[in-house]
Amino acid sequence: MIVGFENVGLAYEGQPEILADLEFTLGEGEFRFLTGPSGAGKTSLLKLIYLAHRPTRGRLTLFGEDVTSAPREALPALRRRIGVVFQEFRLLDHLTAFENVALPMKVAGVNQNQYREDVRELLNWVGLGDRINARPPTLSGGEKQRVALARALVTKPDLILADEPTGNVDPVMGEKIMKLFVELNKLGAAVIVATHDLSLISALDKPTVVLREGRLSPDGSEPQRKTARR
Amino acid sequence: MSDTKLIAERFANDGGGEESPPAPGLFRRMRAEPLLPEAGAGGAPLTAVIAVMSFLAALALAAFIIIASAAGAWTSELRSALTVQIKGADAATIVSLTQAAMEVLNSTEGVVEARALSPEESAKLLEPWLGKGNVSAYLNIPAIIEVQITDDLRRDIGLLRTRLDAAAPGAVIDDHGEWHQRLATAARSGQALAFAVFVLIMGAAFAISMFAARAGLAANSEIVSLLHLVGATDDFIAGQVQRRFLVLGVRGSLTGLLGALLALGLAALALRASGGAADFLPELKLGPSLVLPLLVVPFALCLVTAATARTTVLRTLAKEL
Repeated sequence: MIVGFENVGLAYEGQPEILADLEFTLGEGEFRFLTGPSGAGKTSLLKLIYLAHRPTRGRLTLFGEDVTSAPREALPALRRRIGVVFQEFRLLDHLTAFENVALPMKVAGVNQNQYREDVRELLNWVGLGDRINARPPTLSGGEKQRVALARALVTKPDLILADEPTGNVDPVMGEKIMKLFVELNKLGAAVIVATHDLSLISALDKPTVVLREGRLSPDGSEPQRKTARR
Repeated sequence: MSDTKLIAERFANDGGGEESPPAPGLFRRMRAEPLLPEAGAGGAPLTAVIAVMSFLAALALAAFIIIASAAGAWTSELRSALTVQIKGADAATIVSLTQAAMEVLNSTEGVVEARALSPEESAKLLEPWLGKGNVSAYLNIPAIIEVQITDDLRRDIGLLRTRLDAAAPGAVIDDHGEWHQRLATAARSGQALAFAVFVLIMGAAFAISMFAARAGLAANSEIVSLLHLVGATDDFIAGQVQRRFLVLGVRGSLTGLLGALLALGLAALALRASGGAADFLPELKLGPSLVLPLLVVPFALCLVTAATARTTVLRTLAKEL
């Protein structure tokens, strides 16, 4: 099992729970859409998975490891197995597009000779081959999103998390990105795409879980396409 | 095959995901581009502060070395010299007693050289108090014998005293013991003060580096958070901060050291130009014996700033997720 939520709750300090009673599993090579209205807690749920927060109750397992109480030293190795496309991109403005995409490899101590071609190839694929040395402040929202996507994939992650990955790109690029997720999923990567774009969900025949007011709909691991389409 | 399929195959995990990539070697880390932006921990002000601390620390250390060397020279001069003063009722008595004392001194093992000052030379010594003139015509000026002795004789000065007393009753030996003691105490105090200043500056470097590292971390919190999320260890982030502080430390401390060497060079020139003052002040020469030990200053400052920054970052990060 790649991700396992058992009765998980999350509350920020002194605040009521924003996520409650989460029961959810994602197996190897599975694909899930995560949807729900704005403010339902989709991003917070993803944050739990990419280890930006720990649950305040319940048990969360990642790659079979209980991360609820895992020591800090164990977290970097788990994070390196996850590729995240952040909703707000989170690019480093002082680095070039190339350096931003290469960041996870650099952080992992990989020699640049080993990833230079991968980074160029990814940037070419997302249509930024000619903007390799551009810094984020000079890029448009869509271009930033594509750099963020390339950064998420460069480590060949076991789990891909994407928070509104097509929100800033044109429909053609959006479709291309979603196809890539599907292809990567076919090749073994587990994928969770958080979106409130119902057309995106309906275009692909993939299971969907719905989050409302911090709670997943009953049996959240089952396909919820009808609910999502409503 | 579509390009999406191709890129997917290229970036699909091939099952090696559980293995962590190899840890970066020290050399590769040192060569890597900085991930924390220059503006983070106030690069220019911090460099300036380190330069000032390096300047002051170098001057303090230079003072320590100069005092040590001057005190060594002075005390060794005093240790190997003594003065014999011979008084008498009239000039003839003084002359005969001086001859007897010279015979004793010249026959004593351990006396390197004994030289009786001429009456004119003795009278000249009194000029600052009595003024110029034919002083010796009116006063029975005591004879002065300058003696250079070995360390062995210095340790057994009582024997010489007895022999001189027998040959020239009333002869007074001044072994400069009191001066020697005073000089040694003054030198020790000066050295202690210089060392205390040096230690205080290192303490200030520690405190400033700690505050700057914390401020840098706070200013770069978004970047630090992202680095964590893409799998950076605390050690990696601390290494980035440490490298940045090391660069600032090298830049600042070498600037400060160069400033201190310049100041010392100017002081040496001024002392040489003043002439007379050089007789009373310790010798100041920018030779290897002074400059080489001063290289400790940038080394110590870089070590303190980099190590403090690293420790501070590791401690701060340990409180986060």
